[in-house]
Amino acid sequence: MTSSIARFVRRSGFGLALLLGSTALAPAQTRGGMAIDANVGGPGTFDPAMIATTIELETLNQMYEGLVMMGEDYRAKPMLASKVDVSPDGMTYRFSLRHGVKFHNGKEMTSADVLATYERYARISPNAVVLANVARYEAPDPYSFVIHLKVASGIFLDILKSPAYPLVIYPAEFKDKPARDPDLTVGTGPFRYGEWQKDSHFIMRRFDGYVADDSAPGPDGYAGRKTVYLDAVRYNFVPEANARVAALQAGDADVAPTLPPELLARFNGRADIAVEKVFPGCQNVLLLSAGNPPTNNVLIRRAIAAVVNAQDIADASGQITRENPSILYAESPYYDAAAVKPYYSQNNPAKAKALLAEAGYKGEKIVLQTNSNYSYMRDEILVLAEQMKAAGMNAEVQVVDWMTNANNMAGRAAGWNISTSGFCSQPLLGPQQWRNMVYNFANIKGDTALDTAYDAFFASVGVDDRRKAWLAAEQIILGNAYFIKIADAGSVFAYSKKLSGIRPWYNIRFWNVSKQ
Amino acid sequence: MNEGLLRRGAAAAGQLARRLAQALPVLLVVAVVTFALLHLLPGDPAVMIAGDQANPEVIARIRADLGLDRPLIEQLLRWLYALVQGDFGRSLMLNQSVLSAVVERLPVTFSLAVLSLAITLPIGIVLGASAAYHRGTWLDSLVMGVALLGVSVPSFWIGIVSILIFGAVLHWLPTGGYVPIGMGLRPWLACLVQPAVVLALFQIGFLARLTRSAMLEALQQDYIRTARAKGLGEWLTVARHAFRNTLIPVMTATGIIISLLIGGSVIVEQVFALPGMGRLVVQAIMARDYPLVQGTMLLFGFAFVLINLAIDTLYVLVDPRVRYG
Repeated sequence: MTSSIARFVRRSGFGLALLLGSTALAPAQTRGGMAIDANVGGPGTFDPAMIATTIELETLNQMYEGLVMMGEDYRAKPMLASKVDVSPDGMTYRFSLRHGVKFHNGKEMTSADVLATYERYARISPNAVVLANVARYEAPDPYSFVIHLKVASGIFLDILKSPAYPLVIYPAEFKDKPARDPDLTVGTGPFRYGEWQKDSHFIMRRFDGYVADDSAPGPDGYAGRKTVYLDAVRYNFVPEANARVAALQAGDADVAPTLPPELLARFNGRADIAVEKVFPGCQNVLLLSAGNPPTNNVLIRRAIAAVVNAQDIADASGQITRENPSILYAESPYYDAAAVKPYYSQNNPAKAKALLAEAGYKGEKIVLQTNSNYSYMRDEILVLAEQMKAAGMNAEVQVVDWMTNANNMAGRAAGWNISTSGFCSQPLLGPQQWRNMVYNFANIKGDTALDTAYDAFFASVGVDDRRKAWLAAEQIILGNAYFIKIADAGSVFAYSKKLSGIRPWYNIRFWNVSKQ
Repeated sequence: MNEGLLRRGAAAAGQLARRLAQALPVLLVVAVVTFALLHLLPGDPAVMIAGDQANPEVIARIRADLGLDRPLIEQLLRWLYALVQGDFGRSLMLNQSVLSAVVERLPVTFSLAVLSLAITLPIGIVLGASAAYHRGTWLDSLVMGVALLGVSVPSFWIGIVSILIFGAVLHWLPTGGYVPIGMGLRPWLACLVQPAVVLALFQIGFLARLTRSAMLEALQQDYIRTARAKGLGEWLTVARHAFRNTLIPVMTATGIIISLLIGGSVIVEQVFALPGMGRLVVQAIMARDYPLVQGTMLLFGFAFVLINLAIDTLYVLVDPRVRYG
């Protein structure tokens, strides 16, 4: 016996999201025109298997679609699959593909394309580890695709929905293309590749052959029924925030994303411009190296966590922030703020001093490494350093460039103890997305309790068991101070009211948007 | 045909060839130093390409694919061997040849530099010469004050203020971006005039101060007194005798200014969202895109050699006392 799409719909909350989507449809939308988005930067490639940056994903997820995609509520929703049947043992996922879906090159999408996409992904994507649990694929007929797992999983659809390194489908003829191949621009999405001048602009045009998912009443995150009114969307790459604001003020752009809050006053008195503050955006987290002395001592890490006044650090970041003790968002089925609250913003120097004494700390240098590229990270670290010094710690701030900073964190390098970063997709996508980051950035080895908790999370088919397993893992991550949560950071964007149908969300989408 | 002219032409061509040949060791040093400095920087392009989800095994695989796991000396020799065959390598982040990436962006930076130079030279020279001629007057003080402001105020700040005033408030000029000259002279000028002026402000200040001091020195020479004593008109005395003798330092400064314009374009291109060489190099350094940084630095080095060569050649035309060979 297999579960049906009805079960999938219930489980994913698809029906509710569709209802929300349908009520928010803009009235009397007109067809035509080009929207201009003054974005921070541009894509480096359109090869989905290689893409993880927010800027690249914004364009890519409007040109490509996957079997399932992230809905408005951040859960997996069917997109190119009309139905997903999961075997009772959680080992087999059968996707029934929608008929008549066309690629931008006019060819109909079939299971052969899905198979080729998945096989290429497993071969070249830096994120291929997410398919390590796949035993084999099957494409028994043109409209069926079957994935057999090695170990039962209740989160496999959550893995497939990820908009970072998205498992989106392109034609089978690209199967043997190398990573970042420039020919890879063909998807099934409502927008198609138009014109790209590197460092200048990218234009995506309406795909007139787009086959919308008519079973859905309206758009739903990256899924649902998408209708494109605009002829094209042009992304101008404008790295300077002041210039993005000026472009919107002058009418050179219709949308200006990623704005520092201090610039918003420039829109005062402009009734023709709307400002949106979007939560969730990213999470600001301190990362502590468990591989480098003296923070390889858990007591010293806990002492650092004890001195943190999260509000002061968040204020210094200059971002719009809100308190949240968890490294997940309230929308997640695994969220439990109360369980991790004791580790959050302790602001307790006396406790820190006691822990330092217990650890035998003798004033060894603790290196706080940050970078000059992202001022919010640098400013957070500067405040943390003062909080640590006040508790008697020998905190030394080291400012390097982002590349060096990121390399040291990801590459488990020596010479640093604390750093900070903003994580955007991981908290949205859930515990499975955090795993690599937690282990790599905190340089964790031999923490059997964490290994056990994570193993239980991946092995549990029932959501209650997974929730319990994740809670254990999160308490270890924050309790052992591998990570110290600071705050949720929102993103700010502004747009011209000439556009109707803009819906604030994780990323800006231009379907169901029209321009006067 | 005039035999003397032919002989001088052949000599000039020989001189040019010798100077270009002398540039080769310079370019080799530029290549090796750039390679060494870049690889001394911490950071690994494989990490950038792999993204933050990748585990160490994936990063190691990408390093091997890119040849970054090989000994540095082997990487250097491979690069130099490809260079002598005209292959500047392939950008790691753009997945295109370094040469094509440069060719795509060169027109932007070239346009910006030429326009900026066209603004800098007449204004800088006239201001400097006027200040020198009217030394000690309010005009001198005003010009030197403006020149000081030009060299002191950071170009990113002037750029932002300029965008706000001329773009957002007055709507006279676009707030950023680039339109190729092929799409019309007017839109090309409209998008370049702001960044070109901003870029020129520093150079105008620099050139005006230098021209003033060279002109002051020339105006105090005996031949100026002689010219005036023999009754030559003031305009002719200044233009023909004093000004011409300031041209050698002014031309030397022009060579430096062209180099500064290319260097200064990094910030101006960022502020005005121009897809030029400056942005390319900054992004390449940030991403540790070794082939792209090495290739562009080598091309910059070659451009500077050519600029110096052109300036040296112009010396001969301006001052008959200068001879090479």
